[in-house]
Amino acid sequence: MKSIVTVCLSAVALVFFTGCRTDYDIEEVAPAEFLESSGGGEHVHEEFAAAEDSSTVDEHMEESHAGHVHDAGARNHGTQWFFNQPWAAPFIWGKLLRDAVIFLLLAVAVFVVSGRRKRK
Amino acid sequence: MKAVYTFSLMTLHMLFRRRTLWGILLVILLALAGIASVPSFDVSNQGRFILDFGLFGIELGSLLLALGLAANLYPRDKETRTLMPLVAVPLSRWQYLLGRFFGAAIVQAAALLVTCLGLMLILLFHKLPVPGDLLPATLLIIVEGWFLLSTVFFFSFFASPPLNWPLTTMLFIVSQMSVSEFTGLLPSAPGLMRVLRMILPHADVFHIKDPIAHGFSIEPVYFLIAVFYGLCYSAFMLSLALAVFRGRDLK
Amino acid sequence: MTDMHPIQVTELSKQFPRKKRLGSVHAVSDISFNVKHGEIVGFIGHNGAGKTTTIKCILGLLKPSEGSISLWGKAPADSRVRKRLGYVPENPDYDNSFTPMEYMNMFASMRGLAGTQNDWKKLLGRVGLARWETTGIKQFSKGMKQRMSLAIALQSNPDLLVLDEPTGGLDPIARKEFREIILEENARGASVFLSSHILSDVETICHRAVILAGGRLVAENSMEKLLGEENLYRITVISRKDGKEVEEVIPEADLQTRIDSLRRDNIRIVRVEAAIKSLEEVFLTATGGGESQ
Repeated sequence: MKSIVTVCLSAVALVFFTGCRTDYDIEEVAPAEFLESSGGGEHVHEEFAAAEDSSTVDEHMEESHAGHVHDAGARNHGTQWFFNQPWAAPFIWGKLLRDAVIFLLLAVAVFVVSGRRKRK
Repeated sequence: MKAVYTFSLMTLHMLFRRRTLWGILLVILLALAGIASVPSFDVSNQGRFILDFGLFGIELGSLLLALGLAANLYPRDKETRTLMPLVAVPLSRWQYLLGRFFGAAIVQAAALLVTCLGLMLILLFHKLPVPGDLLPATLLIIVEGWFLLSTVFFFSFFASPPLNWPLTTMLFIVSQMSVSEFTGLLPSAPGLMRVLRMILPHADVFHIKDPIAHGFSIEPVYFLIAVFYGLCYSAFMLSLALAVFRGRDLK
Repeated sequence: MTDMHPIQVTELSKQFPRKKRLGSVHAVSDISFNVKHGEIVGFIGHNGAGKTTTIKCILGLLKPSEGSISLWGKAPADSRVRKRLGYVPENPDYDNSFTPMEYMNMFASMRGLAGTQNDWKKLLGRVGLARWETTGIKQFSKGMKQRMSLAIALQSNPDLLVLDEPTGGLDPIARKEFREIILEENARGASVFLSSHILSDVETICHRAVILAGGRLVAENSMEKLLGEENLYRITVISRKDGKEVEEVIPEADLQTRIDSLRRDNIRIVRVEAAIKSLEEVFLTATGGGESQ
């Protein structure tokens, strides 16, 4: 019973800690000026449109990294957008670090609590 | 820690002597060779194709290795009663878990490095350039493999191996999903799904096959942070596994 | 100082939950006993009496539902306590991909023991595995695995040996060797807690016995008291009625008087012998004929 309470409290703490934001979703984390300039979250390939008649998709991928925005949360290119948005990378690193520390603390808490219960 | 170290070595020797490891390794290498033999549009695309699908193959290999190596470790120890003499006297339960985990993690990492080497050889065989980030990308997949391994250990303390496979695979799939995709699984409870998604791992941070295939530059600090995240999440899963194991009666 | 006994079991109960609506199985109910320093205590009971459950609780493998267990006054999970323990499980098994010597080395390393390869070789020889040090365990019989298990248990010169049916798969010669090793270890100063079905083993080497039936403690005493302190004699005579042999057991103090009386009555005495009560008789009496629960 105690372990269930501990897990629930940890989950609640985690929820409050992160403010229940989606965090990793580009639509929610992108700065407003970026979203405005890129068309508000639509799937936009600005430079691809410009280069439509002269280049292939691959050239577009290699040459035009800026302005490549997908729908909110739709990360069909895996983590690619971490690397082609100059503002996104450090932002995501911060989130990753924060989550890593939370999970490490939770790991220590669970280890200690389960050890105490065993000794009793 | 000497007990954990010795038991890890014992696990490592045991896993190397089992056929499961070699079978899975052979399957991954054959799959990589198969990817390389698919005809492509042109030379530049073929390199991208091999890299993209090759790294995807290695990633699936990490899942297969985690399940193949670890799903049966604890249930088998329990069934054959080899567990009793170990946890009754020389080892604490946490030492048993860590020893088994580290042993399996080393074997898994070695197998994934072999598959990375296989991918490099395939690229060289096709006279294609080997990107410098291929090895770091494999290291990230190894960390993801360790997270999967810790998940397999967690499930193995209360689920049989046939149930462990779908459970771990499901977590693997879910951990790749974006928030929108995940929320879409149960649109009627978006709040709950958002919270769940936050607690569930973000395994997509370990996949840099697209940036590598498309030649993006990846800053070294990204690797460090992603590895740290992966290790912390693995520690969390292991602590949950230990909590379940500590509560178990060993009949 | 009772808390400092190598084993102190106090009001131990262990229940295992069953499937929904079936309640729980009471494997052990409210048992208390101890093992004192330097003692060999036999732990006997029929199948399902709760012996292995009790031993697993003592080793911390099972959590008691009620009651407490202490080893030298500490919890079984305490690492300081575990260092002083040697354990031979019932039907031990080991990973088949290793050899006994590899296992000896690994267990020694895990326990932080300073012994050498030569020490382990001698120990394997002591338990009868001299020629099998480097043979794969997959070729081992049940008895050989039990011998190996004893060798591992003895590696650390333990202060307490917990043996769960250690001679179950052994032939009579190996059983005798096992008994000798247990006595040697006891002479060195180790306390021994021996669970066994083989009552003759317990009777031969134990100072005290604890008898379980249906998960309850039904008798606990020194071997002398269980088997009877008083010397008894069995007189066999020929009955006048039907000419058959009739036995009579009497205390030593009454022996001469009874013989005189039989002679006076011209009753033919066939033999007079010491009537030794066996542990089996004591066990059957205590457990109500050995019926399970």
